This record gives sequence, C-alpha cells and structure tokens, in this order.
Amino acid sequence: MQVSSPQDYLPIIIQFALALGFVVLSMIASHAIGPKRKAKIKDEQWECGIESVGDARAPISIKYFLVAILFVLFDVEVIFMYPWAVNFRYLGWIGFVEMVIFMGFLLTGYFYIIKKGVLNWE
Amino acid sequence: MLAISALSVFGIIVLFLGFSNNKSALMLAAMLSLLATFGLALYEWQHPEITPAVAAGMMSFDNLSILFTAVLLVTGILLLPLSERFLVDPKAQPAEYYAILLFSMVGAIMMVTFDNLIMLFLGLEILSISLYVLTGSDKRNLLANEAALKYFLMGAFATGVLLYGVAMLYGAAGSFSLSDIALYVQDNHDNLSPMLYIGLFMMLVGMLFKLSVAPFHWWTADVYTGAPNFFTAYMSTIVKTAGFAALYKILSVSFVGVYDYWFLMLAICAVLTLCIGNLTATAQQSFKRMMAYSGVSHAGYMLIAVASFSDKTPEAIFFYSLAYSIATITAFAALMRVADTKGSADFAAFYGLAKTNPFLSFALTVSMLSLAGIPLTAGFMGKLFVFMSALEQGHVALVVAAVLMSAVGVYYYLRVVIAMYMREGNGVAVTLSPRFRVVLIATTVLTILLGVVPSLVAGAL
Amino acid sequence: MNAEASELALELALIPLIPLIGFIINGLGFGKLNKTVAGWLGTLAALGSFANTLHVVLEHWGQSLTVDYFSWISVGSLDIHFSFLLDPLSSIMLLVITGVGSLIHIYSMSYMHHDEGFGKFFAFLNLFLFSMLLLVMGSNYVVMFIGWEGVGLCSFLLIGFWNKVPAYNAAARKAFVMNRIGDLGFLLGIFILIALFGSVEFGVIFPQAAAVLTPNSGVAIALTMLLFVGAMGKSAQLPLYTWLPDAMAGPTPVSALIHAATMVTAGIYMVVRSNVLYVLAPTTLEFVAWIGLATALIGAAIGLFQNDIKKVLAYSTVSQLGLMFLALGVGAFSSGMFHVVTHAFFKALLFLGAGSVIHAMSDEQDIRKMGGLKGKLPVTFAVFLIATIAISGIPPFAGFFSKDEILSHVYEHSKLMWGLGLLVSFMTSFYMFRLVFLTFFGGFRGTDHQKHHLHESPWLMLGPLVVLAGLSIAGGLLGLPPVLSHNNWMADTLAPIFEQAKAVNASLFGHGSMTHETEWMLMAVSTVVALVAFAVAAFTFGGGKNVPAADGSPINPVQKLVYNKFYIDELYGAVIVTPIKAFGEYLYAVIEYLIIDLVVNIVGWSATMGGKALRRLQTGIVSFYVLLMVLSVVALALIGFTIKS
Repeated sequence: MQVSSPQDYLPIIIQFALALGFVVLSMIASHAIGPKRKAKIKDEQWECGIESVGDARAPISIKYFLVAILFVLFDVEVIFMYPWAVNFRYLGWIGFVEMVIFMGFLLTGYFYIIKKGVLNWE
Repeated sequence: MLAISALSVFGIIVLFLGFSNNKSALMLAAMLSLLATFGLALYEWQHPEITPAVAAGMMSFDNLSILFTAVLLVTGILLLPLSERFLVDPKAQPAEYYAILLFSMVGAIMMVTFDNLIMLFLGLEILSISLYVLTGSDKRNLLANEAALKYFLMGAFATGVLLYGVAMLYGAAGSFSLSDIALYVQDNHDNLSPMLYIGLFMMLVGMLFKLSVAPFHWWTADVYTGAPNFFTAYMSTIVKTAGFAALYKILSVSFVGVYDYWFLMLAICAVLTLCIGNLTATAQQSFKRMMAYSGVSHAGYMLIAVASFSDKTPEAIFFYSLAYSIATITAFAALMRVADTKGSADFAAFYGLAKTNPFLSFALTVSMLSLAGIPLTAGFMGKLFVFMSALEQGHVALVVAAVLMSAVGVYYYLRVVIAMYMREGNGVAVTLSPRFRVVLIATTVLTILLGVVPSLVAGAL
Repeated sequence: MNAEASELALELALIPLIPLIGFIINGLGFGKLNKTVAGWLGTLAALGSFANTLHVVLEHWGQSLTVDYFSWISVGSLDIHFSFLLDPLSSIMLLVITGVGSLIHIYSMSYMHHDEGFGKFFAFLNLFLFSMLLLVMGSNYVVMFIGWEGVGLCSFLLIGFWNKVPAYNAAARKAFVMNRIGDLGFLLGIFILIALFGSVEFGVIFPQAAAVLTPNSGVAIALTMLLFVGAMGKSAQLPLYTWLPDAMAGPTPVSALIHAATMVTAGIYMVVRSNVLYVLAPTTLEFVAWIGLATALIGAAIGLFQNDIKKVLAYSTVSQLGLMFLALGVGAFSSGMFHVVTHAFFKALLFLGAGSVIHAMSDEQDIRKMGGLKGKLPVTFAVFLIATIAISGIPPFAGFFSKDEILSHVYEHSKLMWGLGLLVSFMTSFYMFRLVFLTFFGGFRGTDHQKHHLHESPWLMLGPLVVLAGLSIAGGLLGLPPVLSHNNWMADTLAPIFEQAKAVNASLFGHGSMTHETEWMLMAVSTVVALVAFAVAAFTFGGGKNVPAADGSPINPVQKLVYNKFYIDELYGAVIVTPIKAFGEYLYAVIEYLIIDLVVNIVGWSATMGGKALRRLQTGIVSFYVLLMVLSVVALALIGFTIKS
C-alpha cells in the first residue's frame, strides 16, 4: 500500500474550497442582486389556499407519545426473533433457553407497563 | 459477570417492589442488591474461571476490573442512604429511581470489564441513558428538565462521535475485540491505516466528553447544577471512576503502539481541564456549581495519570477515584442537608454551620482538605500517586502544571471552611438523620484512614 | 528487632504521640471537659512529651539512629517509610520544641483562662506540637512535609482562633495561602529529589548527593532554590513575609510558640538538614544570604516605629529569621542553629512578657497608651529587660554569643554584608529599647479604668517567664566563641550532621583564619553598636519622652509639651529620628503594601479574572456549547495531524 502524505490531499482541499466558495458566492450574489418586495400578504403563511388557524405547536396528549414509543419498542424487539428462527436448528436448546429468557424479560416489561396503568387511556 | 447478571435481575425486582406501599423496604432492597453484588464481585476474585467460560471474550473480570467494580459498588453503597428524602417525598418515585440506579450501575460495571468495543459502547449507553432520566427525575423542576434535555442532546452528540470512532476502528482493524485491535496495531506498526488514527481520535473525544474533560466539559456545570443533589453526587462519582477505568483499559490494551499519538492529545486536554476547572471554580458563588467545576478539575488529575502511562498508572487511577469519590460523597451529603434546610446551595448557606452542627462541619472540612490534597487525607495520597506515575515517565511539566493548579484549588476549597467556621450564620440549625450520620462517619474515617495508611488498599493490585 | 531497639522505637514514637493523645481527648471533649481538666491535660501532654524527650535524648546522646516503623507508601520502585531519625540536630530541635512548648502551655493555662474556647485552644496547641515534632523527627522529606503542612494548618487555625473578627480571618487566610506558595516550592523540590535519587530518605540522599549532583549545576541550583522557596514561606522571608506580622491576630501564647520560637524556624531546620545539597549549590547559598540580609534589614527598619507591642516583636522576628538565613547563606549552619535556639528563648520570653503586659492593660496593645509600668509589673519588667538585652546583643546574655558568632562568619565571607549586619544589630537594639522605654518608663498614658486594673500577672504566668529569663541569660554557654573556650558545644555537637558537606567543601566548616585580635575586635564592635543604639533610644525615649502621636491627631499635646520643654530632643528628632522614621515608614508603605501585596494581589486577581472570563463562556446555550466542542475537536485533530505527519 502506498503511503499517502498530506500534500496528496491538496487537490481535494482545493476542489472542496471551490465548491464551497461557489455556493456561498451564488447565495450572496442572489441576495444582493435579486429584487426585494415586502408586503404583508406576501409574508403571510399560506397553505393550500386556506387561512391558517391557531399555533402549529399545539400540545398533544403525552399518551399518544407513550403508546407510540411502546409500540416501537415491542415491535422492534420482536424483529430479534427472525434471525433466531432462521438459525433455530443451529442454536439448538441453548438458543431456545436464551430466547425464553429474553422473552421473559420482555414480558416482565410488558407486565410492568400494564401494572403501571400506562395503557389505560382515561 | 455474576455481578452484572445479578444486578440486572435485582433492578427488575426493585422495580416491581415499587407496587407495594412499603417505601422504606425499597431502600433496603436496593442496599441488599448492592451488597450482594459486592459479594459476588469478590467471589469472582477467588474464582477467575467463571467469566471466561460464559462471556465469549466480550468481557473479563480480572483483578483490576474487580477493584474498580468494588470502588463503584462502595460508592453506591455509601451514597444510597443519602437518598432517604425520596422515601418521604410524595412526588418522588423511589422504586423507579432505585431500579434505574441499579441498571446504571450495570452499565458502569460493564465499562470497567469490557473486552470488546461493543460492550464498552453498551455499558456507556446504559449508564448515560439512565443518567439522562435521573437528571430529569424531578419532573416539576424546570431547571432539572433543562439540565436533562441539555445532557441528552449533548450526550447524544458525543455518543454519535464515539460510535463513529468505533466504526472507524472496526474498519481499520476488522474487529471490535480489544486484543485483535492490539494485534493489528502491533503487526502493522509502520503502516497503520489512517482510519485507525481517526477512529481512535473520535472515540477519545466521545469518552472525554462523558468524563467532562475540557474542552468538552461545557455541559457539566449546567447539568450538575440542574440535577437533583443526590443524582449529581451519583454521576460525579460513578461516571468518573467507570470512565477513567474504561479509558485506561482501552488505551493500555489496544493502543500501546501509538502512545505518541494519544499522549499529546490527553496531555493537552489534561492541562486545559486543570486550568479551566480550577480557575472557573474560584469564580463561583454556589457551592454546588463549585463542586461541578471541582469535578472537572479532578478529571484533569486523573487524565494525567492515564496520559503518563507508567506501571503506577492503574494504582493511581484506582486510588484517586476512590479518594475522590469518598470526599465527594461527604461534600454532597453536607450540601443535601444544608440545601434542604436553607433552600440554597450558595456559599452563604454554609455560614456559621460550625456553630449549629460541628460534626457536619468537621466532616465537610476533612472532605474539602482531601479534595484540596492536604496531607494526611486520602486526596493527598491520590495526588501523590498520580504525580509519581507522571514523574516516572519524566513528564515534569505536567506535574508542575498540576501542582500549581492544585494551589488554586486550595483557595476555593478553603472558602467553604471559612464560610463554616469564620462567618456568622442566621442560626438555622442543620440536623442530621442517623443514616446521614453513619455515612458521614464512614466517609470521614475512610478519608483519614486512607490518608494515613494508604497501603490498606494501594497494595491490593 | 531486639529488645533495646524496640524500646527505643516505643519511646521515640511516644514523643509525638503524647501530644496527639492530648489533642484527641481535648478535641473530642471540647465543651464537655471543664477548664481545669482541659488545661492540665494539654499541659501534661506537653510536659510528658518533654520529659520523654529528655530521657530519650540523654540516653542516646550524640548518636544517629533511624527507627523504621512501617512501609508507608509504596508505589512501584519508590518505597516511602514512616520512620523517625534521632540525631544531634533533631535532638536539639526536640528539646527546644517540647521545652519551650511546655512553658507556653503552662503560661496559657492562666492567660487564656477567661476565653470560652479554652479547651479548643489547648487541643490546637497539642496538635501543633504533634505536627512540629513530626516535622523534625521525620527521617525523610515526606514525613517532614506532613508535619510541615500540619503546622501550617494549626497556624491557620490558631491565627483565626478569635474568629468573630473578620480581619483576623483575613490574616489567617493570608498566612495559609502564602504558606501554600512556599509549600509548592517544597513539594516540587521533593519531586525533583525523587526523580534524581529515587528516594526521599535523608540517609539515602545525602551520602549520594555529591556523586549525583554536579556542584553548582542547574539541577542542584533548581532543587535547592525550590526547597528554599518552601523555607521562605514558612520562615517568613522576603517576599513571603507579610503574613507573619498579620499573624499576630492570634492569641499571644500562639505568637510566642508558633510565630516566634518554633514553627517559623522550620525553614531553617530544613535548610540545615539539607546542608549537603546547599553546599553543592553555592549560588543558592549566596542567594539565601542576600535574601536573609534583605529580610533582616527590612524587618528591623519597619520595626523601628511600630506602635503595637506585638507588631514590633513580629517585625523583630522577621528580622531575626533573616539573620539566621544570612548565617546559613554564608555556610555557618551551626551558628544559624545556635541562633534558632537562643532566639527561641528570648523571643518566646518577649512575647510572653508582652502577653503579661497586655493582660495587665486589659487587652491594650498600643504602646502609646502604656508607660510607667515598671513599678506595677516589676517581674514582667525585669524579665522583659533581660530578653531585650539578650536580643540586642549585649554581653554576656545569650543573644550576644549567637549573633556574634553569625556576624564573625559573615565578616569572613563579606565585609559589606557584615556592615549591613551591624546596621541590623543597631536597629534591633534601638527598637527594642524604644519598646522598653515607652512601655515601662515615664508616666502612665492609658485610661483611668486601665490604671485601676493594672496588676502583676499570676505566678502561673510569671513562672515560665522566669525560667525563660534564666535561659536567655545563660543560653550563650551553649556556644562560646573560640577566644573564650576551645569547646563550642553547639558546633561540636552538630559536627556529625555536616560530615558529608565537609567532604564536598571543607573550607566552609573550618575555624577560619581569624586571629584572636580580630575576634576581640568584632565582639567589641558589635557590643559598642548595641550600646550606642541603646544610648540613642534612651536619649530619645528615656523617661517616656517623645511618645509617638496618636493616629489621626495632627497635634499631639504630649509632643507639643516635649517641643516646648526640650528643644534638644526636637533637634535629635529632626536629625536622627525623622530620617530613620521616614525610611521605616517608606519601607512599610512602599515595599510591603505597594510591591509585595500588589504582586500577591495581582496573582490572585489574575486567577479571579481568568475564572470570570471562563465563566462568561458558560452561556447555558446548548448550540453554543456544541459549537465550542466542534471547534475544539477540529483544533485537536489539526494538532494531532501535524504531529503525525
């Protein structure tokens, strides 16, 4: 393997600088040259021709978030079972016991959630 | 290995114990879990054959790892009784706190026993994520929320850098295993892939961030100040011990061959950390914030031990982290009581403490003297070990910088002593519960004992 | 270990342990033990340690014994033992510390009797004794350093003993911080020793020193300079001396024990102990001599016109310590130790006498408000006078012999230094007699209330004074000059300590080529100088004349009276007093406040400003932090990249 020295990177740096320079330059140029018109209507938010109502950052109940994250959690954990299923024969009984332990932990978590009342909507 | 498995199960048990209404049983359960884990760790000292049989080369419980595990567990055991406020606070969720605490301890132990970068990453993340949650555990406190979010955002950034580094290392060496990487470095010493350097660099950045080493320490003060006192004490001790043990392990096993490369980086960071930590601490008005910067500065001393990389380094890190953890526990115990009584963590809250509670003042004085590195305390011996290990490799400049900065340290640690003994307070008495008293007696005795007879533990290696 | 060795080990260990036990009992029992018990406990601890020291020292006189207790710190190849060394040098220090210490304990029982922190005071005093004993008994630099830090801590605690007054706390902190600056030097010196010799043990380092260190090489100079920086802090040498006068905020027995007789001589002890190293670095020795001389001059000059009785004594201590370092600097190590011993006697006596005066004056320390006390306090007056004669260097009292020995060595070394040394001697005699005249002669100038209260101190306080007075008179016998006797006890006793140094540079330790005539001449000159200074002081201040004006009063009635009645005094004032006074005040104001405090303050200020500037970076905005982090990563990566390529 050939040992590379710092100066070998010089062309790359020049190219990088040129690319960056072009972007910056054109942004500045368009900003400086382009016509500017400001009006109240022009600055207003516009969406599909319907006037916007209220604040977009309305609070949403935390329960949506909780349920969503729990779904992702359990959904993703189950994916872990696919590679096990593929290698089921090769992993044998030890693999089976390990998977049972894993599922046990998962179920403990599930049980904890139910006990905590996370899934009760009201 | 036994310690990790058992502690995980204990964590789940504590979590479920929370459904019963007996809150004080929770602390007992958590305490028993830590004690049992401690016992298991010692058991493995006698039976080194257990871990290799089951860990498949992912982790190893050698004697050094077990010693660091012991430091972590002792810190946890000494800290746990200080959380008694959670048992009476109606808004607190002690079962969850304790469970997360135990889980985070699992992460910390993984960080001192890993043999594989994947395990390092897992341990670091288990510890970090637990801490993000615990930082924000006081849900109604805006400061704590802010701190948790900051910690999470910046922590995630650092984790990203770290993971990128790990990936690069894999690219270079073709393995995550520490010994394989070491082999690669050794065999290709004259022709190392640039990816290895970049990977090592990024991994170090990620780890130094977690250890609040300058110039990656910016989160520390804000997070430490915002987090509940108990968890600040927890993270300022556990993370330091685990992190430095991990840092030393990875550098000493895999990267001895490129010492010149990482020495410089660590040396620069160490000096920066010492200067920034100590100087900024002098300008603080809040005891808690001062302790945050003091934590930063102590990372600097430990980094010197790692950077000097002599045969005394493991002993120096081990002793220093123990001395630092014990003194910090005392300091935060005092802070918790004072802040709970007076509602403020400023120096002014400590005025006249010697009058109302001489015992607490004495304990805090010993702790401050230890942190400042005054002889006959554990802190002095820790510094001595660190400086010796640096001197052995001839890094006189590093030692000079550290000694000078430790003089600055005396200034702000002494401020606390002066506040307690030489200022008039408002007469509000600070009381101690039996649990606090026991912990404070233990930490104070240990601090003095280790300062007088360091050979008690220093010869353990 | 055979029976005899283990007996010695036990006896030696008991010397510091007895005060430690006293400290523990008094410390734990503070508030529970009554004052009589606490006082006797502390005093008995000191006395017991003294008796034990006496026993051990007499039994093993002239021997050099190392007792190794246990391996204390063992890191890699370095093995530091906890061990004690008993040799002539440590024996002399032990006797002085426990002896003078015991006397001061006895004195304190009466002096501090009305103080509410009585038990705490004795606990601290005992702790101090313990640390000081550790300092001189340690057989290696680390044990010495532990004691060194311990005495610093006790000094800090005792200066701030009356902690209700903020100024006292500031004084305590100043003392601690200045001492820490010195300690840094000492610590770095120890590290260099470790790097060079791989050991901190005296018995290992000194025999090898000549082989390892090239005379006057950079390393030798750096090492000795760093150790000397430590000595400068602890022994209040220029520029680290300003803490000592401020330290007078502590109770008077503390000033006597810690800030005059024992702790401040630790620096001298350390340099004498390391004499081999210093002999290998003549440049450092020259530096030590000049620093000592400059300190002696400045201390004496500032002391000339201080009006606080304890401040005069404090500056006098600074000056005398300077003289001792001058002795060390010219290679007269045993003379320096001799002066340490005599100084311990008469300076402790002066402070305790001052304490007796302050006690009688209902806590007044301003000599302008005293006067005429000799009738009311006859014993105090007598012993104070003895101490004054001793410190002024008038034969045949103790101070004469030690000072003369130093000056004769200085004369051999450099005539210029000798001349300046004489000037110090003159000023010393002058300010001490000024103090005596203003305090004990003339009419009483205090309030009626104070006058009514005037009383001689109880015998518990006077007893120690009388003992110290006896020592101040007879202490000179410890080191008679060659013209009077062939045996200089002090020099002969200490001779084994300097064996190795002698091998390096024998000329420093010879008896010199001085003829007896020269010696007689030197003695005569220094005696005459002291007597002239006495005469000037008597003429200026005798009978309570020329009492300095009170602060802030433009025309003092007393001075006006003096002006009208004795025109000649005014002339003297203009010719002699005013220039000297101006000089003294100039030094006081310019050197102390402007230069030294300024430098210290600038160091502190820059640290604070640095802290503030760094704090400003702590904006609390996450994106800013991340930006800083990215910049740091880029910077570090660039550094790493350049190093690699």
